[in-house]
Amino acid sequence: MVRSPPPIRDSPSSPIAAVDASEVSDNNLQPFFVLHKARRKSERKSSASGRTKRNVDMPPSFPNPSVQGENEAIYERLRLEAFDLTWSKIDSAVKEVLMEINMALFEEILQWVFESFSTIKSMSPSEIMMPYPVATGATCKRIPTAMVLTKNIEFVDDLLTFQDLKGYMQSNGCHATYLSALDLSIKHGIGICLKSLCRQLGLEDSDAVDVPLIASWYCEPENYHKPIVVIIDGMERCNGAVLADFIKLLSEWVMKIPIIFIMGVTTTSDAPRKLLPSTVLHNLQPFMFTMESPRRRMDSLIEAVLLRSCSRFFIGHKVAVFLRNHFIKHDGTITSFLKVLKIACVKHFTGEPLSFFCSDMLPEDCEAFLSAKSESLTEDLQSYAFDLQSCQSEKPAGSNNLAQGLLELKRLQNSWTAVVLCLFEVGKLSKIQLLDIFCEAIDPSLCNERDVGQQLLSPLTPSHKVDAKTFSVKGSLIPQVIQKVRELPSESLCHLLSQWSLHVEEMIEIGEQVRDLHSKINLPQNGHISTGKPVDSIDRPLASSVMGESTPSLNDEVAILLVCMVRNFLVPIESVPFHEIVCFKDVAALKSFLIGDPRGVMQDDLLKSDGYLQSTSCGRRESDLSSSTHDTAILYNLAQEHDDLINLHDWYQSFKIKILIPRTKSKRKTQHLRSSPASKKGKFTSLENEATTQARFCRAVTELQITGLVRMPSKRRPDFLQRISFGL
Amino acid sequence: MAKEEGILLSPGRKTRSSSFSLSSSLPQNHRTFFSHTHLELLHGHCHSEESISLDTLTSSLPGRKPQIHEILRLIGPLNSPMLPLLLYGGPSTGKTISVLQTFRYLNRPFVYAGCRTCYCPRILFNSVLRQLLIREKNAGKGSSGARRCEKPSEFIDLLRISLIQVVNALRERNLKLGSEESDRGNMIYLIFDNVELLRLWDKSSTIVPLLLRLSEILKIPELGIIYISSSSPDAYYLCTGSIEPIPVYFPDYSLEDLHGIFMRNQSNPNLYSSFLSVVLKPFYRVTRRVDELSVAFHPLFEKYCDPLSDQCLVLDEAMKRRLFDNLQPHLASSLNDVFWVPSWASHQLKQEGEHRQKRFWKSIRKEASNELDFHMSMSVKYLLLSAFIAARNPATLDASLFDSSGGSNNPKRKRNLQTSLDKKDNMAEEILLKGPGSFPLERLLAIFQCITSVAESMVEDDHFENDFAIENENFQLTSDVLLQLSALCNANFLCKSGSCPLEGSTRYRCTIDEEMAVKVARSINFPLSSYLYRR
Repeated sequence: MVRSPPPIRDSPSSPIAAVDASEVSDNNLQPFFVLHKARRKSERKSSASGRTKRNVDMPPSFPNPSVQGENEAIYERLRLEAFDLTWSKIDSAVKEVLMEINMALFEEILQWVFESFSTIKSMSPSEIMMPYPVATGATCKRIPTAMVLTKNIEFVDDLLTFQDLKGYMQSNGCHATYLSALDLSIKHGIGICLKSLCRQLGLEDSDAVDVPLIASWYCEPENYHKPIVVIIDGMERCNGAVLADFIKLLSEWVMKIPIIFIMGVTTTSDAPRKLLPSTVLHNLQPFMFTMESPRRRMDSLIEAVLLRSCSRFFIGHKVAVFLRNHFIKHDGTITSFLKVLKIACVKHFTGEPLSFFCSDMLPEDCEAFLSAKSESLTEDLQSYAFDLQSCQSEKPAGSNNLAQGLLELKRLQNSWTAVVLCLFEVGKLSKIQLLDIFCEAIDPSLCNERDVGQQLLSPLTPSHKVDAKTFSVKGSLIPQVIQKVRELPSESLCHLLSQWSLHVEEMIEIGEQVRDLHSKINLPQNGHISTGKPVDSIDRPLASSVMGESTPSLNDEVAILLVCMVRNFLVPIESVPFHEIVCFKDVAALKSFLIGDPRGVMQDDLLKSDGYLQSTSCGRRESDLSSSTHDTAILYNLAQEHDDLINLHDWYQSFKIKILIPRTKSKRKTQHLRSSPASKKGKFTSLENEATTQARFCRAVTELQITGLVRMPSKRRPDFLQRISFGL
Repeated sequence: MAKEEGILLSPGRKTRSSSFSLSSSLPQNHRTFFSHTHLELLHGHCHSEESISLDTLTSSLPGRKPQIHEILRLIGPLNSPMLPLLLYGGPSTGKTISVLQTFRYLNRPFVYAGCRTCYCPRILFNSVLRQLLIREKNAGKGSSGARRCEKPSEFIDLLRISLIQVVNALRERNLKLGSEESDRGNMIYLIFDNVELLRLWDKSSTIVPLLLRLSEILKIPELGIIYISSSSPDAYYLCTGSIEPIPVYFPDYSLEDLHGIFMRNQSNPNLYSSFLSVVLKPFYRVTRRVDELSVAFHPLFEKYCDPLSDQCLVLDEAMKRRLFDNLQPHLASSLNDVFWVPSWASHQLKQEGEHRQKRFWKSIRKEASNELDFHMSMSVKYLLLSAFIAARNPATLDASLFDSSGGSNNPKRKRNLQTSLDKKDNMAEEILLKGPGSFPLERLLAIFQCITSVAESMVEDDHFENDFAIENENFQLTSDVLLQLSALCNANFLCKSGSCPLEGSTRYRCTIDEEMAVKVARSINFPLSSYLYRR
């Protein structure tokens, strides 16, 4: 929902050109570096042109710009265009889907707003302007409040939803204002809330804002007779005291100014009770609304983005599983899902030389165009295409044509999508997520297990029920789904078939079978089953009695049809030739982007600081510590030799030895050269050395403490530091 | 009655700037307050509502008769000076409405400033002064900008000036109108509501003494001041050291009073009275506040009326009995309900049909009891559980609970655990009494790692999960975990307690109750109970 920033964090200043590009960007995801890294002079130039380097497989400074170089540039541009096109399609599809999901809720809220507006007594302007409270009848001043349960503990997804809600309310005859949780913080107090309220209502800016000002604004004829909706996005994040004050303040005026709250609640409807005192709760007249759960949203997103052919960009099985796990285990937000998707998209279009075919496959009549384009490919790319792994392992008979291969891919993919959607229609009934079905259907090993369906074709017996259960334990959903089809009552079976017939429109022979089955089921009920409700209720006893005999056979027929579909058409994309062109499979790249591991990287960096710092001792052995290493790194390396508790004195002594050794060596050398060293002076310098060493030691320890790697001595054990290490 | 045309502010405040200036001796910024065109501001107040008789006054406020008479006695007859009054009593005991209705009966000019609406001193000052707008004499003699009263000293100056002007204006008008219109007198009253809030504003250093000594400072005999507070006069003694305002106590309503209050404006008094006879007594034991009671009664009355087809019919005893039986089950639950959020969908369903609604409720209740009804990712759940464990267990027992192997099926370890458990029995009890403890981030993360590693090994052993769910690398300690920590803080499941100055790091505290923790644990099949110390 929230458009993530372009995921390529291209930093021209990143100096480590020795490491490859993906690692650079990996590092850049970390919140901070412990150490400054030295620049390597020779690399500056190439790092300045880092972007092109990553996008093109050839080195950017191609020795002599030949024809090949020009072609490369053209393809580069094509890939970029293809990316732009694909992503804009995905993006707009996502927006559309989310808006569609939210719209039902918005309409419901709007209806409620106007209903509660009508219950708030509206008074004449002269009454409203009175500075004292209304005396008559108002035994309790309650503000109508919509508690919108966002169903997700992470709130990122919902920030924009509430903004959209504001816009929707405004366009439907309300005064809408939006307060973020930050407005209601203890730091700002209640004045800021009112000020923000006034500003959004369009009052002239004044330094002292109070409610009578709003009242007088409301009395102006163009503002009158409209509810004032105050949207607060995340109520749990607000400061309880300020929110309580705010509610109390507005509740004194609720009989005069029709204020209506809409509050986002991320957890349960209990949340306000924990946040607000009971005296304030009595001033709220709450109603609960629920947003679509993140899982449902995710399903619709997957359906729109990855299944419906809004773009010809696909993900491989491993990527899908990674996405699913990330969603369930780490970050169940649409935002992060879109971020991942975008990263995958970028990676694919920059990494895959032929990826520009993605956008070319979009139009219906792309055949001629495709073949023309594939003809005109350079030799390199042609050979590259036919060297693709998928092409070699499973050489399709007689199709050495890239365009034909792509068209075949498109056709297979369309039918795959249709079957997955059919499966999902059943899955909906037994609460199976589309994401799960998707992951299973895209599994390339599915191809080899085609005979799985064979077992399920035989009629339903108790022994087969047990079979189905063993399947479910193993975790394959498709057999579960097929089993479900057999157990469906006729009513939902009919509904299912009508849904299927929509999905399989493009597959002619399957479509006919579905229609046949559908008409069979419809016959006894004169086609009323899915439309007329009253007729339905009358017909039901009749229908069930008729169906009682024919149901098993019909259910079985449908199940057989589904198995056929699964066997014939559920071809995972990764087993289709040329799939690499449109399918992104590189999980490792995604992982490195998404899962930042600041502590791990920090500790790693400290251990290998020499490599970054380009110190003079670069040529030495890896593990050897030298005095030229950065102090913090020395200390950290030394700490590795200790237990969890580090004796401060020991640590200091070993640190001192480490940094003094080479100096004394060199001193000795100089002493040999010079004939008479002044002993007094030597003493002085050693004292000075002691002081600087201590200072350096202190600074290094502090740095380690700031980065959270050690903890300062406690009162109980003043001589010991505690080492904190996780994840290594 | 020509005077009554000047209804407060209705022609719009935009013309405010075409104003007048006070005598040139006034400092520039003081002029702002007199730059209003409205002439009869104060006098307009009472005219928008008709004045009422003493009988209506007392009958409209059941149970407040003695207080009203006391107030009337203290305010005194027309044109008699009065000492400041302090009306106090618990919230929702009818203080404000009594005073306002009394003035409606007296029909005398007053200024009302609620300290809730005026949330800071500056706005309070401005609100009072704005209401004291004065008749303008020298219109058009230049206006000043929109500077406002900031300091208490300015406020006093301006207040004095404007009060004198108002009083003079009142006197003038009375003279002009002669005897028949002079019933409004030349007193002006200031009413300060919610005075108890003043103490929170600036640690009561200046503003409370200022307001409480207002009559002493101003020394205007025509000024009457009334404070309304929900805290007793004791709260203000320390602040003043001046003449104390005369206290008038508003006690909590009695049962009969409440009955009278709720019987006002009922369309079907008979029905409602029988409803009150059922409901009022049990609720009276819980609260006597009218606002709380009316909130609680509203849904109950709807339920009470549900079986009735026609609400106007006369009830016989059998019917009453039936209605009571119908209400009985809801009564106990609603006594305990502090805050019940009905869903809008269910509200609409109710209009459609009773039967469907019942089914709906059942499903909702069932769902609510067993499952978490919002999405948390797995690692957030683990993090929340580890926070819960960290808050419940003493830190010294961590080592015996989580050893490095992470396996929970080591018999030797179990025995050790048992002995240490016995030893620390007293300690566990003490911790239970103390409530959730605070813990540093490191401890939380350490426990998090331990329980996630245990959970992973469990998953591997049992093979319960789907094939692709088993991925060992999923619970690394990543930056995500820190983000999730802040998400938990945002949701008020964790709170950051004040950082310990000795250690210099933030400490956290887990605020969820055990029920919630068990729910979370159940949703990920985590054996929470084996990680908690209890008796």
